[in-house]
Amino acid sequence: MEQIKTPTGEIIYKDNLQNGLTVFLLPKPGFLRTYAVLSTKYGSIDSSFKAFGKDVVNVPPGIAHFLEHKLFEEEEGNVFERFASFGASVNAFTSHTQTSYLFATIEDWQKALVQLIEFVNKPYLTEDNVEKEKGIIEQELRMYEDHPDQRLHTSVLENLYYQNPVRLDIGGTVESVNQITVDDLLLCYRNFYQPGNMALAIVGAIDPTEALQIIKDNYPEWEHYNGTIERVHPEEPAKVQNSWVEEKLQISRPRYLVGFKHDPIWQGEDLLRQQIIMGLVWRLITGRGSKYFTQLYDANLVDNSFGASFSGDMRFAYSMIGSDTDEPERLHGELTKIINGLKAEKLEPAQVERLKRQLYGRHIASYDSFEYVANRYITHHFDNAPYHLFLDMVQNISPSDLQDAIVNLLDWERSTVSILRPVSFSE
Amino acid sequence: MNFVQRDLAEGVRLHLCETEKFKTLNCKIFIQQNLEKQTATSTALIPLLLRRGSGKFPSTLEIAKELENLYAANFSSDVLKIGERQILELHYQMIDSSLLPEGDTLLERGLETFWDIITNPAGSTEAFIDSYYKQEKQSLKQDLEGLVNEKRSYAIKRAIETMCANEPFGIYKYGEPATLENLKNEDVRLHYGNLLSSCPMDIFLVGRDLDRVAEFIGGLVEKRESKQKLKLPQNVENPEEKVMEENMNMQQAVLIMGYRTNCTYLDDDYYDLVVGNGILGGFAHSKLFMNVREKASLAYYVGSNLEGTKGILLINAGINGDQKEQAMEIIREQISKMKAGEITEHELEQTKQGLISSANAAQDSPAAFIDRNLIGLVNGQLRDSAQVIEAIRNVRKEGVIKAMERLSLDTTYILSPNGQED
Repeated sequence: MEQIKTPTGEIIYKDNLQNGLTVFLLPKPGFLRTYAVLSTKYGSIDSSFKAFGKDVVNVPPGIAHFLEHKLFEEEEGNVFERFASFGASVNAFTSHTQTSYLFATIEDWQKALVQLIEFVNKPYLTEDNVEKEKGIIEQELRMYEDHPDQRLHTSVLENLYYQNPVRLDIGGTVESVNQITVDDLLLCYRNFYQPGNMALAIVGAIDPTEALQIIKDNYPEWEHYNGTIERVHPEEPAKVQNSWVEEKLQISRPRYLVGFKHDPIWQGEDLLRQQIIMGLVWRLITGRGSKYFTQLYDANLVDNSFGASFSGDMRFAYSMIGSDTDEPERLHGELTKIINGLKAEKLEPAQVERLKRQLYGRHIASYDSFEYVANRYITHHFDNAPYHLFLDMVQNISPSDLQDAIVNLLDWERSTVSILRPVSFSE
Repeated sequence: MNFVQRDLAEGVRLHLCETEKFKTLNCKIFIQQNLEKQTATSTALIPLLLRRGSGKFPSTLEIAKELENLYAANFSSDVLKIGERQILELHYQMIDSSLLPEGDTLLERGLETFWDIITNPAGSTEAFIDSYYKQEKQSLKQDLEGLVNEKRSYAIKRAIETMCANEPFGIYKYGEPATLENLKNEDVRLHYGNLLSSCPMDIFLVGRDLDRVAEFIGGLVEKRESKQKLKLPQNVENPEEKVMEENMNMQQAVLIMGYRTNCTYLDDDYYDLVVGNGILGGFAHSKLFMNVREKASLAYYVGSNLEGTKGILLINAGINGDQKEQAMEIIREQISKMKAGEITEHELEQTKQGLISSANAAQDSPAAFIDRNLIGLVNGQLRDSAQVIEAIRNVRKEGVIKAMERLSLDTTYILSPNGQED
């Protein structure tokens, strides 16, 4: 096993198994809990690919998430129950690029680990149980439709992009979910759940040697396609589809969100570096230690919901910034001035230093969160980025890196503003 | 891992848990008062005002800069409601000195900053800075009006208001717009002064080198005199059943069913009820999840929560508006079945295991390890993890059945789509 030293002085053990699975193990002496996550580099945007390396297929949106639900189904019994029998909890989540299955337990992590590996590798799909799941997923999608932040986020992505599947909800739509068949689900499962496309991370009260042996002994032989995964990316124009959209929802006051479309030009270490840089840029504007936050807050243009984010992958990259506000147009005007101003004037080195200090503290503290550490190591492994070097990379970032990013990435010509306005009770 | 308790001053207790497990030092202060209409809204303004500035750091910007310089030290504050108490929570966290490039020198500086923020808000001892006050009053008003934005928590709030219309428990933890409208800056400042000087205050610390930290904090706490009398909630034994339906422009209906438990934290059979709630709706293996979601496909989320101080069990589900009758029937049926003794040994055991695991898991997070004491604080009877685990282990099926028999339905509340597309 390769040993990786973390910035907190702990050791992460890493191994690549013969079947292709990558494993990260971080023992936490003195803790009672163990958290494990088994992920596949397969998410909602992987809807067009060469099936088994041959012909290109297009499947209905929402399959990755549907599969996530269905892997909990078993011929006899139920996965939730099996973990519950010794007090463990089990769950899963799907993103644009990844599907993850996880457990947390105090008792018997060995048994939980065997069961995690087993249920993810044993789909039980029938016409009946696939039909039945559609009702549950429909309720899940409806719940998101009532959620204002979710609606706004989706609206920005829908209008930033023409073709890129990142523009669609992770769960698909009620219509697309209803089209999904057992065959679609199996096709995707057999392409994307091969061990070479997956990684397993465990953080907690474990012995790494024992954990590795359990994984080797229990990971089943993969009987399906075991080769290169070729994803098909649709051509995406540089420009945005719509630059200003508005929608109504039963909420108390308007919400404003602007998204910037970036070219997905980063990979590996460059991508992680860009994520750090954009994280600092957004904190420079939206952080409580930012004079811009104070200025906008004092003008009653933003409230405590003011925030921003960067999302990047090899196939898409975008940023978003927004807030609840009574005056979306004025907020838009002020934000435009602030961002354009930052493009022109020099950044204060002292402020950037403070933001780097803050990032240092947050990063160290994050190693106390098992979930966060395990998921970071997996995501950055899928991105081919050396997450353990995070703090070294922070050290090497200068104010001019931030300024370059502001100049190059926050391009108003490639932005979409989305506004959610309240609908009155009588409408 | 346990807390050692010390008295610091009249009504001020220190709870120390020395451990090298975590990378942070955590300090949480809880100040308790009775939940009352007049003061609830006043208290809700305090977290908003404290972060606006202190004597040494007179603006949000100055506070934030100092916290950044302390390597992401964090100050946060919130208002909690447990039983019929309103609790002001003040939380400070910083990286343990040993992990900082500048080491030891930052500990005292960090604690002083925290103390300045909470005891010396910007302004005078009579009033907050008026422009801050006006802005934060507006901000709380928007938050209260914004409750409709999150349908599930809005429905829970409305259900509790309906259920406990004539009890203090019906008061929302952040107060209400009508009271807010008439509040004056001076009233709120005076109220905060009283909270600091006369309400029970519990200071929890988790981290390393606590003798030094405790000594430092001991030097900061001032002498106090009077002590507020706190009350425990009254029980409502035979409630009249209420049904309420409201409509909104939305996609999914939210169903809430509120039961009186007639059993609370201080009763001998409290853990029978805790286990009963777990079997019914506390987990993904629970009866509600299995029957409403997995078997009938009626919901994405469905579960139950226990408020053990007041004695209320609340079921909530997100369902299709057309299927509410069906969902209610399945929920009632599951409770009847438990009353009739339909609880398998397996259900009982896995629920107990699940509860024991969560009690243990709290020891791996400083905040959770502190928060698990809240119910004990309010009820005047602290219990450590070992006591709770022992009590859960001893629960028998007969006890659970008895606890379920004491449940009586009080309020059914439904928030439904008004069937109109915008």
